[in-house]
Amino acid sequence: MTRADKVVIVLAVLLLPFLYIEFWGNRSQGEVVLIRSTNSEDTTLPLDQDKQLTIEGALGTSIIDIKDRQVRFIDSPCQGKQCVMAGWLNKDGQLAACLPNGVTVQIMGRDQRFDAVNF
Amino acid sequence: MKLSIQTTREDQRIAWLAALAITIHIAESALPSPIPGIKPGLANIITIICLMQYGWRCAAWVATLRVLVGSILLGTFLSPSFVLSMSGAMASVIVLGLACRLPVEFSAVGYSLLAAMAHMSAQFFVAYSLFIPHQGLFHLLPILITVAIVFGIGSGIIANHILNRLREQQIES
Repeated sequence: MTRADKVVIVLAVLLLPFLYIEFWGNRSQGEVVLIRSTNSEDTTLPLDQDKQLTIEGALGTSIIDIKDRQVRFIDSPCQGKQCVMAGWLNKDGQLAACLPNGVTVQIMGRDQRFDAVNF
Repeated sequence: MKLSIQTTREDQRIAWLAALAITIHIAESALPSPIPGIKPGLANIITIICLMQYGWRCAAWVATLRVLVGSILLGTFLSPSFVLSMSGAMASVIVLGLACRLPVEFSAVGYSLLAAMAHMSAQFFVAYSLFIPHQGLFHLLPILITVAIVFGIGSGIIANHILNRLREQQIES
């Protein structure tokens, strides 16, 4: 083994921790909530910061709650309350929608379990 | 009429070494693999020995012929696995070409590790861009590179032993 060999081996081995951290470590970082509304611009929010927010839709104000890496509709000015009954969303690709108010909430992750969801 | 092709000593040497590499390549393809893409790559030992004994041109010929003939014999010619093998072989040949032009001196271990890393990275990015353009593939990358390092050093050590034996024989004869 020459000195150049050792340099190559050390560099290659040093690359490994970087790769493991980059591709295995912060898996959760890519997870965000995408909120769309007909009346306001799309917003994306990180899933790991608890927050309650109000979104203006076609009929009125929808209240959305982000807590413990989950997200849900608390209230929406619609009749059926399908969106509220969808409950907590916590998996990549899951979606809740209040169609009368034109507001949707979707979890966008690195590993999408669904390409699309039909209701 | 008898046709004959004039072959030089170098042609014959390349043919011999390529035949040896193809044999190893085919024997290795019979080994089961836990994850697609993980293979010891023992045929690359021959490439490294060619590089160090006879130069880069010989190594490039042997690597290319090995992938080409190996794929024809295994029936994977022009299939995705052939494209991956070929891109890996090309990348490692290019990296070896650059490495042996550097003003530093590598032994078989260094060359083999460089070749293995180049091989794996090229295969990975070809696989990602052509066949499986999915972010999830990147989760495999750390494992694949770890395996490349382990097998790269391993093949390098084997190549070193073979080279030592070859040189001993050359001195004796």
